Amino acid sequence: MTSLVSAQGVSKRFGNFTAVNNVSFEIESGKILGLIGPNGAGKTTLLKALLGLTDCEGSLSVMGLDPFKQRKELMQNICFIADVAVLPRWIKVSQLLDYVEAIHPNFSRARADELLRQTKVRTTSKVKELSKGMVTQLHLSIIMAIDAKLLVLDEPTLGLDILFRKDFYANLLNDYFDEDRTILVTTHQVEEIENLLTDIMFINDGKLLLNAPMDSLGDTYVEIAASGEAAQKARGLGPIAETEMFGKSIMLFEGISREHLEGLGDLRTPSVADLFVAKVKRARQ
Amino acid sequence: MISNQIALVRRELWEHRSIFVTPIAIGTVVTLGVLTMLMFASGFAAELDVAIFGAQNLAGDAERKMALTVFFLGTSWIFIVALAFLTVFYSLDSLYAERKDKSILFWRSLPVTDAETVISKLLTAVFVLPAITALGIFATHLLNLIVTSIWVSMKGGDASVLIWGSISLFDNWMTALIVLVASGIWMSPFIGWFLFVSTWSKRMPILMAFMPPIVIALGEGIVFRSRIFLTTVAERGDMTPLFKAGNLEEFFEEDNWHQGVSNLTLLDKIDLAGFFTSPALWGGLLVCGLFVSGAIYVRRYRDES
Repeated sequence: MTSLVSAQGVSKRFGNFTAVNNVSFEIESGKILGLIGPNGAGKTTLLKALLGLTDCEGSLSVMGLDPFKQRKELMQNICFIADVAVLPRWIKVSQLLDYVEAIHPNFSRARADELLRQTKVRTTSKVKELSKGMVTQLHLSIIMAIDAKLLVLDEPTLGLDILFRKDFYANLLNDYFDEDRTILVTTHQVEEIENLLTDIMFINDGKLLLNAPMDSLGDTYVEIAASGEAAQKARGLGPIAETEMFGKSIMLFEGISREHLEGLGDLRTPSVADLFVAKVKRARQ
Repeated sequence: MISNQIALVRRELWEHRSIFVTPIAIGTVVTLGVLTMLMFASGFAAELDVAIFGAQNLAGDAERKMALTVFFLGTSWIFIVALAFLTVFYSLDSLYAERKDKSILFWRSLPVTDAETVISKLLTAVFVLPAITALGIFATHLLNLIVTSIWVSMKGGDASVLIWGSISLFDNWMTALIVLVASGIWMSPFIGWFLFVSTWSKRMPILMAFMPPIVIALGEGIVFRSRIFLTTVAERGDMTPLFKAGNLEEFFEEDNWHQGVSNLTLLDKIDLAGFFTSPALWGGLLVCGLFVSGAIYVRRYRDES
């Protein structure tokens, strides 16, 4: 495994406001990493720093390049969808393909045409004539026709209906992802991508709250549904979060082995959404 | 680098269709105007000698040459005025529209630097717009010469002599081309300023482009009782360095035209060496460079989210 992204002490300030605060992490190639955070947590700012769209303090290297200083070289090997609406509305689909073909050395026109044939997007249409879902399909077809090492998706399915969202991620996994590629995705609809992720990062108030492989979550975090005396015992072990549901206490533990909780109630690995809520609430206390 | 520029400039032409539509519209209006005049002139040909500039009933070679030259210069002038407006609106829109519709995030997701993007817009404004305008002028001239030739032939005249023999296409077209391209280079400080405003302005770039110069001129007038800024800007509107002093006045001296000057052309009045060695030209290019650098800096460093 080689490190595709390396961030050491990365910060970004806007005046007195610190959007990203001394963040350090590594992303290895072949991963699908989910970057999860509430609104204003610093997700987009961090992505922008990775993509060379904004400068930052600290040391940041993406594929061995300084993103801000070497953005052009970097963009030959990175693709990103920042938002579904960013394709220019005035352009024709064929012109868009011509343009990307002319300036992107790793773009395959044949591949883009093939992907678009599977959609209802016509090359003679203008972007403004397409529905929101079709614009996303067009954007994704272009992105998937680029032989890039890292794909960055910032809320790629925002505003799309559930059918499109499912198709979007299915296409991404089936037609794009392989062990040489890395995907970094941010979304609010975390439950939809939970099963796709290999790694997860939580960010809140510009700081990383969690950075772990998905398959390690079960070792570190455990959720128990208990009631009565058992719940009281469990509570004594110091859960990081507790909610009531159907007369039972649902408690989430960090770093407590399952053996300690065995017999006190039903144990399970918490969902990413529950874990996220617990970690953010705890950070805000 | 060059292939990127070609792709980027081509994209500008796709986005800003007015670059093509304006010359086509002007050419069409001029041609329709000439056709109308030809039709109405047939009844009272002698009075409307400008409209029937090829007809045999014109007083003589000198008048016919003059009429054709006036037509050529007049139509070129309409195109040049339109080009001025087109350049202002294009330059102000070129880096503003991409921020307004947020497509800047898409453009910046591709391997093109901010400098390449801004320079492609500068090249479009300084060279491509004048070149397309020149093509519009040539096509309009050609179309109208053909229309007039047909009319003259129908009246029994010899168009090859009366029309085509009375005007030097090469001289006129070369003059138009040189004046157009030189005007783009000469006006580049304004274009640079407009590009800077286009990338810097949060809203209403046209207001932002013209308010600061007006405020500076007024401020200078009130505080220093001088008008150096206003004079400098106004004098830039003059293409003086392209023509030797007095040459234009001599050319437009009406008496010369009536005396049957052998070759009515502005081409030999052009002083390219004088133009390219003019300190004002290079000073202007420096100002343009500063504004364009500013535009690149703002596009690169400003967070558009």
